[in-house]
Amino acid sequence: MHDVAAEAVKFIDLNLTTIGFLFIVGFIGGLVSGFIGSGGAFVLTPGMMSLGVPGAVAVASNMCHKFPKALVGAYKRFKYGQVDIKLGLVMAASAGVGVQVGIKIQEWILARWGEAGSNLYVSLSFVVVLVVVGGYVFWDAWRTQKSGGAEVVTSLARRLQKIHLPPMMYFKTADVRISMWFTLPIGFATGMLAATIAVGGFIGVPGMIYVLGASSLVSSATELVIAFVMGFGGTVKWAMHGMVDIRLTLIILAGSLLGVQLGAIGTTYVKEHMIKIVMGTIMLIVAVSRGLAVPKYLKQLGVIAPSDTAISVLSMVSFATMCIALGIGAVIILGSMWRAKRAEAAKAPEYALKESYG
Amino acid sequence: MLTLSKEAGAMSDSKKTFPEPGQPARAAGAKPFTLVAAGTPKETEGKAGEVKRKILVVAKHHAFTSGVLDYAANLAARLNYDLLALNVKPELEPGGKVFSPFNRHLREKFRRQSQASLEQVRPVLASHGIGCEQVVKFEGVAKAVMDLSHLIKRVDFVITDQGITDEEITGEIPLPVFSIAGYQGEKVMAKWTEVQDWSRMRAIGKTVAYGLGAAALYAAVFLNGDTVMRYFTRGGWYAALPIATVFIVSFVHGAFAHHLWSVLGIEAVKKVQPRPEVAKRPVARRRPRPQLRLDT
Repeated sequence: MHDVAAEAVKFIDLNLTTIGFLFIVGFIGGLVSGFIGSGGAFVLTPGMMSLGVPGAVAVASNMCHKFPKALVGAYKRFKYGQVDIKLGLVMAASAGVGVQVGIKIQEWILARWGEAGSNLYVSLSFVVVLVVVGGYVFWDAWRTQKSGGAEVVTSLARRLQKIHLPPMMYFKTADVRISMWFTLPIGFATGMLAATIAVGGFIGVPGMIYVLGASSLVSSATELVIAFVMGFGGTVKWAMHGMVDIRLTLIILAGSLLGVQLGAIGTTYVKEHMIKIVMGTIMLIVAVSRGLAVPKYLKQLGVIAPSDTAISVLSMVSFATMCIALGIGAVIILGSMWRAKRAEAAKAPEYALKESYG
Repeated sequence: MLTLSKEAGAMSDSKKTFPEPGQPARAAGAKPFTLVAAGTPKETEGKAGEVKRKILVVAKHHAFTSGVLDYAANLAARLNYDLLALNVKPELEPGGKVFSPFNRHLREKFRRQSQASLEQVRPVLASHGIGCEQVVKFEGVAKAVMDLSHLIKRVDFVITDQGITDEEITGEIPLPVFSIAGYQGEKVMAKWTEVQDWSRMRAIGKTVAYGLGAAALYAAVFLNGDTVMRYFTRGGWYAALPIATVFIVSFVHGAFAHHLWSVLGIEAVKKVQPRPEVAKRPVARRRPRPQLRLDT
């Protein structure tokens, strides 16, 4: 999040294309969010900026839609028994700290290397985190699918759970008993990443799965709680600066509230490792997208000197790739929901011959 | 081999009464109260004065699946048992949420349909010496079976029809309970969808109501775009305006979206959430209580 300038802020005029674009992207973003716990919003900020919305307004309006969407998604998944509220709140606490630290780092880089340097920092963070974490998540999901679809708690998580370091906490829904100290770095990293690339869940969800030992289902659902808390806090700050364009927010919400519920429903249809597959896929493609944007910032810093047309082509491809990432995620989610629904309808009613005593 | 599903042109007598829920099935000392048509070749009693053992067949529908009824009837014929047909509809329990007079009408209808459905097969049962009492109850499956097993003696075991889950039947009934495997059930009579239609209509109504509410809210914001933007971006305490708006819209539009997906048939599958495999302590299991039955 960048410092807010005190100049007059321009709010764009709305037309049918703008409205349609925001609604559709909101819907797909919500769908992905409802399914993997995070990740829908990151297309919206650059998307809004490409429509001419000033950066700060884009970030503020995005955040203002994020927290109610997360609330609705969390509520729905809570009814399915997937949300661990305690875990969410504990992580949100350390995430809050992480957000503040992340903002401070951003401000320092901005002061030191200017806008280009800041953008470069953001893009490089994107690429590193997404490639490393996304790659691992994807590989793990692939492995789970090959081995028949049963999720296993990692050995790292098991070892950490055995370490007795008070205060120990028991998270009922996640069925995890672990020292509070191990939740801190994950929450902190979630907050920092949220402040940097606007998506904290890309570290939060894998962190909960691989470090704490919660299931994909519970992790992605609990992430929505963290997203709500962070989003609400951030929105209050932005709204107090008058940066929220409520019209944009409402249009995006119109789509994303539909999508997030569909995504939440989808998690009950598909096998659990599907969540990892979708998350890994999106993360890897977005990493490519952000990687393509790096040369632009390198040029602005004077490190390399490609031609202007090359830069604009790369920018377009970068943006398109990001949209494709989201689109592919949505296709995978809807596709697996469709297949699961068909398989269920086709099953003949079978009853095992069984005997039970009162 | 007794098959009830292909019964053609069954003759059935005019309406018979059958035990109201809660009333004893027979007066003391009287012959067993059965609903078999007059002129049955065989008596439904075994030895003089002795009451035949019974198989309780229970369904959550007014009609029994033919496969289940076949099985029960065959078993009854071989063991020389009678059948006790129990039709339950827990949704119509008196004192429930559905509007009361309509509820009463639905109960009457369920009784009539259950009776009519069994009338079709009763003659065939009778011709094999299988008596069949019928009881209709409007309470949960387990409670209905329990009550009946207290009221009517010599119910030896229970066979459940399609759609009755384990949770509904176990834990409270001191009788063995069986469900039948491996066949595609067909209903003897057409499915009754009236109650389902009613709740579907309500769901559609809710969707439309919330949709209109959401549309109204959006119209309010966008038709007054300039005023709204002027106040909402003032900053400071005015920050409460966009935040409150967003909460309200989320509530209304969120409810609309929820009902919309529901009405379109896209709902969550209720299954047990899988947990990653971690060593778990073994759960203490309830042991079946041995039952001692004495021939009196």
